[in-house]
Amino acid sequence: MAYVSMGEAHRRVTEFLSRFSDSVFSQNGSSLKQLFSVSSNSSSLLSLADALNVFQDSNRLIKQSDTYSQLGEILVPLLRSLQSYRNGNLVDAYTSFEKSANVFLQEFRNWESAWAMEAMYVMAYEIRVLAERADRELASVGKNPEKLKGAGSFLMKVFGALAGKGPKRIGALYVTCQLFKVYFKLGTVHLCRSVIRSIETARIFDFEEFPVRDKVTYMYYTGRLEVYNENFVVADQKLTYALIHCNPRSEANIRMILKYLIPVKLSIGILPTSWLLKKYSLLEYENVVQALKRGDLRLLRHALQEHEDRFLRSGVYLVLEKLELQVYQRLIKKIYIFQKQKDPSKAHQVKLEVIVKALKWLGMDMDVDEVECIVAILIHKNLVKGYFAHRSKVAVLSKQDPFPKLNGKPVNS
Amino acid sequence: MASESKVTAEDTKIDLFEDDDEFEEFEIDEEWDNKQEGKEEVTQQWEDDWDDDDVNDDFSVQLKKELDSNSEKS
Repeated sequence: MAYVSMGEAHRRVTEFLSRFSDSVFSQNGSSLKQLFSVSSNSSSLLSLADALNVFQDSNRLIKQSDTYSQLGEILVPLLRSLQSYRNGNLVDAYTSFEKSANVFLQEFRNWESAWAMEAMYVMAYEIRVLAERADRELASVGKNPEKLKGAGSFLMKVFGALAGKGPKRIGALYVTCQLFKVYFKLGTVHLCRSVIRSIETARIFDFEEFPVRDKVTYMYYTGRLEVYNENFVVADQKLTYALIHCNPRSEANIRMILKYLIPVKLSIGILPTSWLLKKYSLLEYENVVQALKRGDLRLLRHALQEHEDRFLRSGVYLVLEKLELQVYQRLIKKIYIFQKQKDPSKAHQVKLEVIVKALKWLGMDMDVDEVECIVAILIHKNLVKGYFAHRSKVAVLSKQDPFPKLNGKPVNS
Repeated sequence: MASESKVTAEDTKIDLFEDDDEFEEFEIDEEWDNKQEGKEEVTQQWEDDWDDDDVNDDFSVQLKKELDSNSEKS
């Protein structure tokens, strides 16, 4: 840390205070937002923090000035947060920031216009990020990491201040996305429901009016929720929206969208090209796709096993496991095509024993009864059209469209 | 041994607060041209008509061979 003289320290602190009060009184949101960016490590905030370590009397400076003292309840804890952050005391940085943010929120509610929206965005972002770092610090000394949960409660208050009628509504989606990030990290995704309801049922505000960056983030997270709930048609719509509107330069985000969109598409019978898998290095899906194309059950099981950990962590394992039925469908269709090539008149009679043999070749030991059970499920789910000639252990396939395609619809449940 | 298990316990505790797929933050003033080139590519990389009657791939050929040979035996 470079040496800072007392005079220089005093100058930096005064400069910050006057920039802050100027921004508030002239209602300059974009200037104000920079002063709240505690975690940005901007050079001006770092040099201010160094100055605060030298000049210990900033609180008195605030109290003595008529202008600054009006903002004292925001400024005093904000300066402390900046200083604590610089000194690596992250729990105190968070706690102080939350104090400042609470008072700022009260002021923000009273302002009629949305001039301070950008500052509010920064505040919402900072509170989340500072809480995450504070929790890491708490966990590392064996204490209960509870700050992120607190940040979630604060963000709900912010949401409440924005979600009503009026010009501030435009910011509600940004805060919603910060809340999603908190809830997904804490594993309390059920708490997303009430904000989603508030966003989606509002008639006073058209979703399309929100900024595109928030719409994309929102669709990504709600799309993921729909994947967990196995609403594949809605998940497809939301994740596709995110994909279409995402910043094309943001490859990491596009990759994350695809990570969820691919299993969704697979479950409704649509495959990604291998170009896509390579371009976004999602090669864990390569064998899954190959298994579907071939009707190769062994390959599907192998692919699921190989990437089990990854698929379980992202929560798509169960979605992929259910692809098995489509793979069975494909395998039986191949047998049917072979038979058609040999003797079209007998093609629609598939002996269960032949399926048993095909599975055995794939290393799967199943008897005729088990195979009958699987074919019954395929018929029930409309992946196969036909019936059993029970005594002769033959599946009699419909002569018309014996293997209906999903065409973008999920398998019947 | 005791210290080892403590480390694992801490790891799992921190691990609880992770979402591997946290969406990267867009800048507050970030804007983009949605019609940029390259975008088309990503949204058109899907095949819905892959389930054809083609059985000339290696897997199918081998499967057919297997089924034929077995049926001769039985």
